Amino acid sequence: MILIDLIIVLLIGAILAWITGKWNSVLPRIISLAALVVDLFLIIPEVVGAATNQTKWLVDIDLSWIPAFGINLHLALDGLSLMMLLLTFFMGIVSVIISWKEINKRVGFFHFNLLMTLTGVVGVFLSLDLFLFYFFWELMLVPLYFMIGIWGHKNSTAVAYKFFLYTQAGGLLMLISILALYFIHGQTTGVYTFDYLQLIGTKMPASVAFLLMLGFLAAFLVKLPMIPLHTWLTEVYSEAPTAVLLSALLLKTGAYGLFRFVVPLFPFAARSFAPVGMVLGVIAILYGAKLAFAQTDLKRLIAYISVSHVGFILLGIFAFNEIAYQGVVMQMLTQGISTGALLIMAEQLSERLHTRDINQMGGLWEKVPIMGTIGLIFTMASLGLPGFGNFIAELLVLLGVFKTNVTAAVLASLGLVAAAIYSLRILQKVFYGRKSKNWEIHDLSIREKLVAGSMIIIIVGMGLFPKPVLNIAKPVVLKSLNTQNDSAFLKSQESKTKVMAENTCFLKPLNR
Amino acid sequence: MTTYIGLIPAIPFLGFLILGLYGQKMHGKIAGYIGTGAVGISAFLTFMVAARYLNGLPEIKSYTVTLWQWISAGNLNVNISFSLDALSLIFIFVITFVGFLIHMYSIEFMAGDERFSKFFAYMNLFVGSMLVLVLANNMLVLYMGWEGVGLCSYLLIGFWYKEPENGYAARKAFIFTRVGDTAMILGIFLLFLNFGTLNIHQIMQQAPEKWMTGSAIATVTAALLLGGALGKSAQLPLQSWLPDAMAGPSPVSALIHAATMVTAGVYLIARTHILFALAPVVQTAVAVIGAATLLIAGFSALAQHDIKRILAYSTISQIGYMFLALGVGAWSAAVFHFMIHAFFKALLFLGAGAIILALDEEHDIFKMGGLRKKMPVIFITYLVASASLAALPLVTAGFYSKDQILWYSFSSQSGGLWLWIAGIFGAFLTALYSFRMVFITFYGEAKTEPSMKVGKLILIPLVVLAVLSVLGGLVELPQAWGNFRPFSNLLHNVLPATTIHKKEGLEVVFELISATIVLIGVYLAYLFYIKKPWLVKSYEHSRLNEFFYRGWDFDKVYDVLLVKPIVWLAEIDEKDFFNWFNTGVSKVALFGNRVLSLTQNGKLRWYLMSFAIGIALILTYMIYR
Amino acid sequence: MTETDFLSLTPLLIITIAPVVIMLIISIYRKYEIIFGFSLVSLLTAFVSLFIVQPLLPHRIDHLMVFDLYSLFFLGIIFFSAFLIMLLSHDYFKHLEGFREEYFIILFTATLGASLLAVANHFIIFFLGFELLSISLYILIAFQKKKDYPLEAGIKYLILASVSSAFLLFGMALIYTALGTMGFQGIADAISKMGVASPILVIGFGMMMVGIGFKLALAPFHMWTSDVYQGAPAPVSGYIATVSKGGVMAVFIRFFFDIKGFSNQDFFIVISAIAIFSMFVGNLLAIRQQNLKRLLGYSSIANMGYLIIILLIGNNDGARAAIFYMLSYFVTVIGAFGVISLLSTKNREAEKIEDFKGLFWKRPWIAIVLTLSLLSLAGIPLTAGFIAKFYVIFEGVKSGLMLLVFSMIINSVIGLYYYIRVIAVMFSTGEETTKLPSLSIIGNVALTMISISILILGVYPGWLIDMIMKLVAL
Repeated sequence: MILIDLIIVLLIGAILAWITGKWNSVLPRIISLAALVVDLFLIIPEVVGAATNQTKWLVDIDLSWIPAFGINLHLALDGLSLMMLLLTFFMGIVSVIISWKEINKRVGFFHFNLLMTLTGVVGVFLSLDLFLFYFFWELMLVPLYFMIGIWGHKNSTAVAYKFFLYTQAGGLLMLISILALYFIHGQTTGVYTFDYLQLIGTKMPASVAFLLMLGFLAAFLVKLPMIPLHTWLTEVYSEAPTAVLLSALLLKTGAYGLFRFVVPLFPFAARSFAPVGMVLGVIAILYGAKLAFAQTDLKRLIAYISVSHVGFILLGIFAFNEIAYQGVVMQMLTQGISTGALLIMAEQLSERLHTRDINQMGGLWEKVPIMGTIGLIFTMASLGLPGFGNFIAELLVLLGVFKTNVTAAVLASLGLVAAAIYSLRILQKVFYGRKSKNWEIHDLSIREKLVAGSMIIIIVGMGLFPKPVLNIAKPVVLKSLNTQNDSAFLKSQESKTKVMAENTCFLKPLNR
Repeated sequence: MTTYIGLIPAIPFLGFLILGLYGQKMHGKIAGYIGTGAVGISAFLTFMVAARYLNGLPEIKSYTVTLWQWISAGNLNVNISFSLDALSLIFIFVITFVGFLIHMYSIEFMAGDERFSKFFAYMNLFVGSMLVLVLANNMLVLYMGWEGVGLCSYLLIGFWYKEPENGYAARKAFIFTRVGDTAMILGIFLLFLNFGTLNIHQIMQQAPEKWMTGSAIATVTAALLLGGALGKSAQLPLQSWLPDAMAGPSPVSALIHAATMVTAGVYLIARTHILFALAPVVQTAVAVIGAATLLIAGFSALAQHDIKRILAYSTISQIGYMFLALGVGAWSAAVFHFMIHAFFKALLFLGAGAIILALDEEHDIFKMGGLRKKMPVIFITYLVASASLAALPLVTAGFYSKDQILWYSFSSQSGGLWLWIAGIFGAFLTALYSFRMVFITFYGEAKTEPSMKVGKLILIPLVVLAVLSVLGGLVELPQAWGNFRPFSNLLHNVLPATTIHKKEGLEVVFELISATIVLIGVYLAYLFYIKKPWLVKSYEHSRLNEFFYRGWDFDKVYDVLLVKPIVWLAEIDEKDFFNWFNTGVSKVALFGNRVLSLTQNGKLRWYLMSFAIGIALILTYMIYR
Repeated sequence: MTETDFLSLTPLLIITIAPVVIMLIISIYRKYEIIFGFSLVSLLTAFVSLFIVQPLLPHRIDHLMVFDLYSLFFLGIIFFSAFLIMLLSHDYFKHLEGFREEYFIILFTATLGASLLAVANHFIIFFLGFELLSISLYILIAFQKKKDYPLEAGIKYLILASVSSAFLLFGMALIYTALGTMGFQGIADAISKMGVASPILVIGFGMMMVGIGFKLALAPFHMWTSDVYQGAPAPVSGYIATVSKGGVMAVFIRFFFDIKGFSNQDFFIVISAIAIFSMFVGNLLAIRQQNLKRLLGYSSIANMGYLIIILLIGNNDGARAAIFYMLSYFVTVIGAFGVISLLSTKNREAEKIEDFKGLFWKRPWIAIVLTLSLLSLAGIPLTAGFIAKFYVIFEGVKSGLMLLVFSMIINSVIGLYYYIRVIAVMFSTGEETTKLPSLSIIGNVALTMISISILILGVYPGWLIDMIMKLVAL
């Protein structure tokens, strides 16, 4: 029942925060912090289990919900979802702390929305019933919409629409695929169910599988977001108040979806899509980097960095090997934290300076050395310097991709150079150089230092001791790769794509 | 033993942590003492380790210590582990010992800087990373150190961040080296895919078995690793960042951009020499690049006015010698020159730093002059170092190390006459520019008065390094002079001896030639810059010299070929081309809305007409389908 | 007339007797609260009587009316909706000057019309109900003569509805000409025997489509919708959007299922075209609309498009999904109009979107109800609309109506835009000086009922779906 407790705690917290917000503006903050901390502690014991348990689901709950359609309340936890939950709760706590003083209007409703969004995110990470998954997937949009629209900057309402419409369109396409999958499975086996575990390995013609996969991709690639579906992200990042949450969690739900649903449900279709996916990944890395370099709005810049980083996730997913998948898991975690930290920094700067234009900044190190140091650390993390978690992630992804598609790996590695170019530009424009104006700004408060410090510890910890994460991810990674082997009976239909996927190592002729 | 190996890089990291976290609160020079102390402890440990290592020879050639398992994914298993052998021993000796001296120097040099503690924090981080680089026993840990020193280089070049130029120089350095690093990481991928491990020792063992000499895969891999080496060691075509890197404080130039980091490329090639031996094309390329670099940089050094830029070009040129040595298979000669170069070049930078400090940030040698009498200690040490740089015969360490390279560049199996000619011409240039620098700076009439006297903490390192610049060469005498070669004997535990295919007797002849040429160079410098300066007046103002002054316009080429196109690309699409999708969709929807809104005009006759049209369409379809 | 006939007619009889009694009460003692209370009780009694009637099913009264689970269920929907609207009308009409008690009389006659449609099994009853409904609506729309638009709207509706009735009647006549029968069963039998449809028959059906399309506000017979929604009193707009459409929908589904109209290729194509056209027209017209009542009018055009899509499947599954969709749409849209009614004052309707600016911060509760309604219209989880839209897409995918499903999805996204636009205004933080009326207990009760219904249908819809599964076995 722990999984349901997680959701219930958040829901109750949300409602309490809203109600108490009418009388007091501190109570909601405390309540939402408490709810998240409780959830974090609820989930921590499972880490031990994850480290030892190699195959099964750690926790599995299956209750009837809408029996007429074969819809169940099926929640389960494995290593991947566990890590995603840890990230979710951690980033949730960070968001609460970061917004402690910054959000001072309508505090109760803000925290209601924050916790509701997290409820949706947690649900997404736990659902093993496709309908339930879709339910949570859509559920997180509305509170997020409110957060962007109400507490955002001046254009936030328009931006919120864009975000909402994009994700909704993707979600509906996914819904069609989910339903089609449901009926195909029902017609072939006679069992009509939305249960993920039963739907894995559904037999269907290759062309149908491909179309269905496209529906899922539509939802996940919008969330990731992949170029050319990324334009909502840049605007949301620049306008949203707690973009932190978005970067860390929302994008992860897309990556998680690819990992959890696209690859296991459509193993062969995914393989035949791999060349396109890789091209898209490379484009995302390079085009994102190029645009990041061009931006003058600090938060937009970070948004494009995020687009560029997400390219690695896409690339890794379509490499179909263990190393790349481990890298993807790492990237999901580390990118959440490093981009999140950069966004926090950007938000702190724009709150203090009332501008996000980096041309107006400059020479700030003198005024805010601690913020500068933290900015330095996270730019270095995001450009993939060894010693930070991001390095491990990008390394594993590139190495995994290198195994299957050398060209893609080489092009993607250009992204490392590009990352240096755009990342250092931030430092140069913001902290180095001459003062462009005599800003009167104060450095980080203890609360902000605490957040930054904990994020640094995590990102460095993951860079130097990534093994626990890799170990927990390992069974999940192997499982999602194994489902491809289990579906071997489809080989005859899919022989063409299979050959293509295996025969990709151009280095073979080079070997003696 | 193994504990000590782990501690050697750990202590500077500890120093970095302490200084990074609490440095702001430290008063006076405490931060400097902590930073220096940390490196000092490492240096001390290095001596202990060295003693034990030498004791253990020849039975035990390397020690390995594994700290923890770093990455394990699929068949990729990487440990954080260090391994000490003769090659890394020499490097850690130079890093900790020279590093210690430079730290000591910095206590005084950086005194009063508002970011005093940060400076030492960065320096300690650098030393730690550099030690990780040379102690790493697998490619990934090496890469971690490799990038770590790049970061420190970036931070320290841009240390005085208030000047935008410094920041740009720092960025340039980082990006240039990053280009090389990216090639290198691809090389590391290839190694992993072919050998299934990243352990350097295992790779080197398997490589000759798995790969044929000259095979494509070996060539590609070696070329990619070379890419990393070129970037870090500022060799053609990635050299142009180093002169700009002089924006950093002088101790930084001494430690990072002369003594240690820039020679990481030399270390890498020496460490993976087996791969390079398997790829003769690449190895030849190393030699050719080294030869070309040393010449190009030599000419540029001759044209500079800024004392630190002279030294920067000189560094590029001297590393070119090391590459030349590596390229002809004279592995230990390269390492030998690295060590000696570390002594005298660090000394030169420290001396230059002391001069600049004393003259209130005056960099231009033509505005100095006559400093000989005003700062005698600095003058003498600087002179010794310049002589060592110019490889003045017999009395300087530089002579022994450089001559070995020159000899091998001719005599080794892959060496040849042209390489030797390039080397010897470079030696001439070196003598010319180093004494040009000395004569203009210290002789003639004084143009700027020193505003202060430098203290002991600056002078002691100068003297120590000066002694080493003279005596350091004695650890390795030319082969023809009897067989006193403890240095290369030590290295032969790791690196193979150079195969020579020319007659051994020729060595003395070649030494005489090079000695003569160096002396001619020194004399000409005397002639041109003291005796008859009008002789070179027209050259100094010629376009050719201007061209050399600008570093052969490499920056311009990069600007046109890369920087401008990228900036252009970024600027034309700043708003993100893909936004058309949004605007397009919303425009279509709004258009539909406008058209349909025309029908909603509130007039009943229109509504009735739409009834009529509707029924007409339905009936037409149903009847005449 | 047997005893069973009478018994099964109980609900309709209650609805018929109630207005007569109200007239009597008015003539004796005109008191708003008493009339209101009596009306509520009558409707409740009618609703409860459905459960009494249930054991008698199925029962036919000659060929005119049929009482089965299906018609009972629709009666339930109609009574429930009418009940909610009555609750919401209380505050709205309370302050009206002049005779306001008559409103309830007309409301009952309109409800009776809709109920007749739900039980109709014959063209006579069909037309009777249709006209009863229309005529009552003319009055209801124009009930508030003092305000700007009601009269205009009433006249528009009068003329257009007359035209549509004429078409409907003419269509029925043509069918009778072709087949010689007016009972649904008879028509179905005649058609199945006939083989090739005669042109007269086809024209007849086509003309009936105009009548039905008008009442359901399907494009291109939709033009009146927003004008009338805007002009009519808010509760009446809600009534037009729900009860009136519910009745027509009931008869439409029954008639076309009886004659197997959806298996006819021509009808299929015509109705799909109408459905797709309605969706696009409704949604595109709404995107820049600044008047909430008009906006809901346009939205209803699109929603009816979604609704008849699913009927095209032509089997029980489709009908079930359509009924679920309709029910959730009714609850939702009553919520939206309810909020408008409750926020309207004697002098002005709260219909401009800007009137709602910052509503959430001043009247959180009422804003939440409107938000819930709009989210439900947009099909967001936790609301009835989500399950409804899911159900429709579910059945659409199942039957492979991909073109229709995709156009529904495109339209959902367009629709989302204008629904959240309204929500955004409610949550925006500008200064607003409009005075808002205070809520009465009755209004609160109505809003609570609506919110709970929306949430229950959204979170735990299983029981209702099961119920519909049992009810609808055509």
